[in-house]
Amino acid sequence: MLPGGLMTFKYESDMAIVRTRLQWILLCLGLVLLFAFPLTGSGYWLSWLTRLAVTIVAVLGLHILTGLCGQVSIGHAAFIGVGAYVAAVLSTRYGINGWLCLPLSGLAAGVVGVFFGLPSLRLRMFYLAMSTLAASYIIVWCFRNFDSLTGGFKGLSLDPLTLGGIDLGNHANFYLVAMAIMVLATFVAKNIQRTTVGRAFVAIRDNELAAEVNGIAVFRHKLLAFFIGCVFAGVAGWLWAYSQLRVNPEQFRILDSIWYLGMLIIGGMGSTTGVFMGALFLRLLEVAIDYIIPPLTDAFPSIATQLHVSLGLILFGTIIVAFMLFQPKGLYFLWLKLKTYYRIHPYSFVGET
Amino acid sequence: MDTFLGALVQGVLQGGVYALVVLGVIVVAKATKVINLAYGGILLVLTYLLWWLVDSMGLPLPVGLVIVLAAGVLVGFGIERLLMRPLMGRPEMDMITFLMTLVVGFTVMQGIAILAFGGVPQVMPRMFPEGNLNFAGVNFTYTSLFCFATAVAMFLAFVAYFRYSKNGLAMRCVSDDMIVSQSLGISVKRICSYAWAVGAVSAAVGGVLIGSMYAVDTNTGSFAMMRALPVLLLAGLDSLPGGFVGALLVGLAESFAGAYIDPHVGGFRELLPFILMLVILLVLPNGLFGKKAIRRI
Repeated sequence: MLPGGLMTFKYESDMAIVRTRLQWILLCLGLVLLFAFPLTGSGYWLSWLTRLAVTIVAVLGLHILTGLCGQVSIGHAAFIGVGAYVAAVLSTRYGINGWLCLPLSGLAAGVVGVFFGLPSLRLRMFYLAMSTLAASYIIVWCFRNFDSLTGGFKGLSLDPLTLGGIDLGNHANFYLVAMAIMVLATFVAKNIQRTTVGRAFVAIRDNELAAEVNGIAVFRHKLLAFFIGCVFAGVAGWLWAYSQLRVNPEQFRILDSIWYLGMLIIGGMGSTTGVFMGALFLRLLEVAIDYIIPPLTDAFPSIATQLHVSLGLILFGTIIVAFMLFQPKGLYFLWLKLKTYYRIHPYSFVGET
Repeated sequence: MDTFLGALVQGVLQGGVYALVVLGVIVVAKATKVINLAYGGILLVLTYLLWWLVDSMGLPLPVGLVIVLAAGVLVGFGIERLLMRPLMGRPEMDMITFLMTLVVGFTVMQGIAILAFGGVPQVMPRMFPEGNLNFAGVNFTYTSLFCFATAVAMFLAFVAYFRYSKNGLAMRCVSDDMIVSQSLGISVKRICSYAWAVGAVSAAVGGVLIGSMYAVDTNTGSFAMMRALPVLLLAGLDSLPGGFVGALLVGLAESFAGAYIDPHVGGFRELLPFILMLVILLVLPNGLFGKKAIRRI
């Protein structure tokens, strides 16, 4: 729904993502604020935002795979782990420059993703999800058991990244790198939806048979979706490795994959804005839980240790379930409704008698 | 040779228990077309419940068992009524129910088990005689033998229920076509509830058996789930006998891997179910006994 009084004369302006002057102003303002944040921000929120950026890059990948192409992956955290471990192993064991690891991480995760996407040739939904579930366990098992390469349970520590003499180990500097990659990833993800490939993905999601009849090479596009989605995951893994400066198998559990799916569900499948909303929602909830746990443990000291572990599990799970039951289109749909209401405002009552 | 026989017996005994575990998933999948990934979580909560009733509350074992089975029925009804029925018939129901059971099983149930029962490894109350049995040079515990016997008996009971009872017939009818069943006077809602209740009860029994073979901790749920899934893929989702054979095969594969590969590659045994899953998916996408999916154009 476009705002009233907006007239387009060219195809390009009809297809534009940013259409109005207000949107341009808001976008520039947002970007400036985003990159100026380290000047004022506290260390806590800086590292929180860095983690948020990593999450968003990862969920953008899942969004392309699940939201656009309709292929559910329960192994996304493991694919992120592949990216993180490739960066860690290459830079610590073989002394390869950290920046060179970035494309390698993405590529490695993409290739692994394609391998586990192979069953999508003949199988749908549940079976495919099983393959990614198996991927999740197999990959983490490899992290844990190839001690000589991956450091086993303890994992690996990385040296901070440098760029022309600037140390990117501290929060403020790495924050900028993370944000830059996040913006770039958003740009790519947003644009994929408008290319031939992206439209093929959506066609496959909506009706595989119709897509095939219309001449889309379904299997090849599914694998491509796996590749692109997992490249995003690999890049997110690289970011994760260099933001935490250590990797271990515990960081890439199947539970994290479920949270990524949950963010997609809460945000609303099939839109990049939804990805931002979902990731923000769950990460903010995490902060809120950190705040409410101390008073709760004071109130119930007998179950203090359990509360720490289980409160997040139960709360997150319940909220995701509630969204699936009552708002399956997610937060993005609510936002869309609000926007439409605002844009047609004086006439919004015309339809009602 | 001793290793071989030992692994064989061990594998068959374990396979029996897996059969019972996978039964619960197959029943739900058959009747309601939902792949119940919440199964592991339900199993975990019910197993902990039995431990808590008997060990902490000091109830006698039979009373505890009865309460746990009743709780299983309630959990099954509850999940069906609260979470599954609202989704029935919604577009993309496959994906949503799948994600729903995934989230419920791996997060909510897991969280409840930790919050309510502590999530610390616990030894289950003893329900079978102790000691080892020696048969033709193979050692195994009475516990695993009795677990096998219980599991197989339960499995056969359920199969008989589906074959011969009216509800079982209705369930098979619903699994064929919900709308036709409804118009023939079968209450699809009630049948789906029954299927979930049966699923949860078999989770309870399976969990108690697995718990008494090993111990119960927070991984018990995913342990059972991860054995059930390859069996499910092998059986092809809708065949009960296939489920039994598949469970035996997976149990055997696991114990042979434990006996022959583990000494060379440490920890291979825990990886095996997933490799099996991948291989089955790539080579036998319809499983051994599943209906061949015919794509109509």
